Amino acid sequence: MKRLVVPLLAIAAWLLPYGLDPYAIHVVDVAIIFALLGIGLGLVMGVAGQINLAQVAFFGIGAYTCAILTTRAGLGFWVAAALAVLAAVAIGLVVSIPALRVQSHYLGIVTLGLALAFINWTTNAALAGKSEGISDLPVPPLFGVDLSSEYLFYYVEIVVFAIALAFALFVVRSPLGRRMRAMRDDSLAAGALGAEIPLLRITAFVLSGLYGGVAGVLYAGLIRYIAPETFSIANMFLLLAMVIIGGRQSIVGCVIGAVALSLIREVLVDFSVYAQLGYGTVVVLMVVFAPTGLAGLPVRLRARLRGRTGGDRRGPAELRPFTPYGEAPSGDPTGVVLEIRAVGMRFKGLRALDDVSLEVGAGEIRGVVGPNGSGKTTLFNIISGFYTASSGRVVLRGTDVTGAAPYRLAQLGVARTFQNLRLFGDLTVRENVLVALDRTRTSWIWRYVALPWTVVRQDRALSAQADELLDRYGLTDFAGARPQSLPYGIQRRIEIARAMAMSPRLLLLDEPAAGLNGEEVRLLGEMVRSLRDSGVTVVIIEHNMGLVMSLCDQVTVLSSGRVIADGPPAAVAVVPEVIEAYLGDSTYMSHESQDTTSRDATSQDTTSQDTTEAAR
Amino acid sequence: MQVFLQTLIGGISFGAVYALVAMGFSIVYRTMGLVNFAHGSVVMIGAYAASTFYMASRLPFPVAIVVAIVVTGLIGLIIERVLRPLEGRDFDLMLIGTIGFGTVLEALAILIWGATGHAVPSPVTAAPLDVLGIKIRTYSLLVIAVATVATVLLALFLQRTKKGAAMQAVAMDPQAATAVGIHVGRSNAMAFAIGAGLAALAGGLVGPMLYVSPVMGGSLGIKGFAAAIFGGFGSIPGAIVGGMAFGILDSVAAGAFQGYSELIVFLVFAVAVMIRPTGIFGERTVNRA
Repeated sequence: MKRLVVPLLAIAAWLLPYGLDPYAIHVVDVAIIFALLGIGLGLVMGVAGQINLAQVAFFGIGAYTCAILTTRAGLGFWVAAALAVLAAVAIGLVVSIPALRVQSHYLGIVTLGLALAFINWTTNAALAGKSEGISDLPVPPLFGVDLSSEYLFYYVEIVVFAIALAFALFVVRSPLGRRMRAMRDDSLAAGALGAEIPLLRITAFVLSGLYGGVAGVLYAGLIRYIAPETFSIANMFLLLAMVIIGGRQSIVGCVIGAVALSLIREVLVDFSVYAQLGYGTVVVLMVVFAPTGLAGLPVRLRARLRGRTGGDRRGPAELRPFTPYGEAPSGDPTGVVLEIRAVGMRFKGLRALDDVSLEVGAGEIRGVVGPNGSGKTTLFNIISGFYTASSGRVVLRGTDVTGAAPYRLAQLGVARTFQNLRLFGDLTVRENVLVALDRTRTSWIWRYVALPWTVVRQDRALSAQADELLDRYGLTDFAGARPQSLPYGIQRRIEIARAMAMSPRLLLLDEPAAGLNGEEVRLLGEMVRSLRDSGVTVVIIEHNMGLVMSLCDQVTVLSSGRVIADGPPAAVAVVPEVIEAYLGDSTYMSHESQDTTSRDATSQDTTSQDTTEAAR
Repeated sequence: MQVFLQTLIGGISFGAVYALVAMGFSIVYRTMGLVNFAHGSVVMIGAYAASTFYMASRLPFPVAIVVAIVVTGLIGLIIERVLRPLEGRDFDLMLIGTIGFGTVLEALAILIWGATGHAVPSPVTAAPLDVLGIKIRTYSLLVIAVATVATVLLALFLQRTKKGAAMQAVAMDPQAATAVGIHVGRSNAMAFAIGAGLAALAGGLVGPMLYVSPVMGGSLGIKGFAAAIFGGFGSIPGAIVGGMAFGILDSVAAGAFQGYSELIVFLVFAVAVMIRPTGIFGERTVNRA
């Protein structure tokens, strides 16, 4: 059934002009151009999560460049068209620069401002024909086919559109699209998994520039007259409404929204104010009641129905046991993996870390403990590149990585999990893992245009690895689920699986036992030991002292941003400062600690006062 | 020098209006984290309402503005109520939702007042003051004075009254505010109404300076928003400084580049945001992992 959809659509598209009068075909031609714009906006906004209110300016750049080069410079239409698309892509590149610095509403207003700047230029520059615009563009030549006929132009458009749609769908489903969606859901976590966030943002804007440029060229060829009002802010908002109503996260949804709204606008052309009132209202209703747009409705309805009939008929999904990794082949690795040299971190007046130094040897499990607010997570954020230390250095396997971006560190083999779980909410569990498995650089993207089949082959290989990994972590039953719908303990395990999918050398675990029950904590301990045995060095922040004591080879204790103790668990647990930091009463505790020096078990109980009971 | 001072005066009076618009943005943003893209359209409705009551109903100008504030305050309440399910959830959706509201308000304005717009006579007929050869329109002085009074009243409200303090508390931590018995929804609605009221004040004041039309909201809103970001989004002093800076930039650019002023203004703005995204008074937010 599904295999028939494409040929049927192709036949329908081929036959469509035979049933339309000259006016209707014009409307359809314009709708296709809007659909192209919609795809571009969908890619940059829905897929990559970059608010871009300059899409209409990309459209304008394409159309104006084409018009100026043909009428003023006397170039042939197709040469001008190629240059026009390049110009739009270049402008996309320029507009992406603010996106590297600002996001969400800031980016919205900057791009809107740039769109206004473009409109301002077109209405003032003699080159662009001021407010009268440019008329008498040449008819695009095509091997003697008369493209001044809108019927024949339709076929040009539909071919371009089919290619553009196929490419967009390919990009969205490919590793690149997955990375973009991951970035949209959580750019920090995506960066920590090795996605080069700046390059991805640029790519998103370049794609939207490409689609805008192509749409602009087609518009110039179809109408052969351009004026500033076509590229106004009002039309930008119309385009936005198309994408929102259709469903911004789905490319097909964007197309449907664009075509539907273009047709409705034509029907209501004599009541344009009411049309505006109508689509504005629909946009408001959509964001409140159906944020995924028309494209998301089937899924929502299905979910609603399933809820009523009481779940699907498959057996209950269960978390299977973890299959330990094999021993590392190279025997015991040696040397220092991570070295923190006198790192300090200041936030305005607050000193979060002060002269912190530590060394983690290869194959070690290092615990980092300390009261809340002692700077443990800040330390992790520095090691994984989210913060740049105010002073001191971070050295990874002999390489100074102080101030390196998170994705750089991820590529160097640093993986981490997050205290508050940062799974990509709109991606399935499988896709979450796939994002991490993909170790290619974003600069690899030239293959998407030049060698698409290698992308497909690589994606298939990744898929196989993902299945293997999910199986190892016992997560196969949840592969297709959204992380948020799963119990907390399973989400924790997904995060570890996702981090391990990067095949890291150094794994940072931020409170992996938080919220787990006793049995889950025991399994976690076994899992971490197995990860270490496979050759990964582990640094773990944990409040569960039972786990820390039984698992870690070395423990570093932080208090108020300073290292107060460092050594094997049993030795650290009896240091007076440690007990004081945890319990606060110095006179009483120092007395007590002397008492317990000889009795290890008691001192462990003392330090685990704020932890949940753990099974040993 | 004289030309420059003349430009400066013109910039400051527009800057006062931008500052009012920016304050409207900021108070809504800081209280509920909502970026209200419909704000410009609310300003436009305010301008229409004030000028209509002033010209057609022959109300005195100040009364007309007060009526306009009530009208837009109600509109603000409606917008807040409709978008309440999205509060604190999805930033991008709220942004798009308010853009949708802006479109609706613009369409309504065209339906009520027509697409062409109208000019508003100045309510102050006194001759321009002549200070050292610089002509200062008396209406400009009025605008600056009213904007100053409004700013002072707003600051007093936020700092000296219980309701204002509650609003500040909601801004800092909605959950903690709920825990101490503040009705967050009501506080948000009030913030929104105040923001919309400020929009009407700005619109009413700008009416005699510009041509009142359905599309005026677009450029006023965008410039006011840009001014808010310029000064530091969510900060009241930032909104004032940003508004003034933007007004002056606007009038200097208009003097130097004529038709291309908008192009220059937004290019400067884009560069400024890239250099300092947090604006002049903005807090540097830290990404918490």
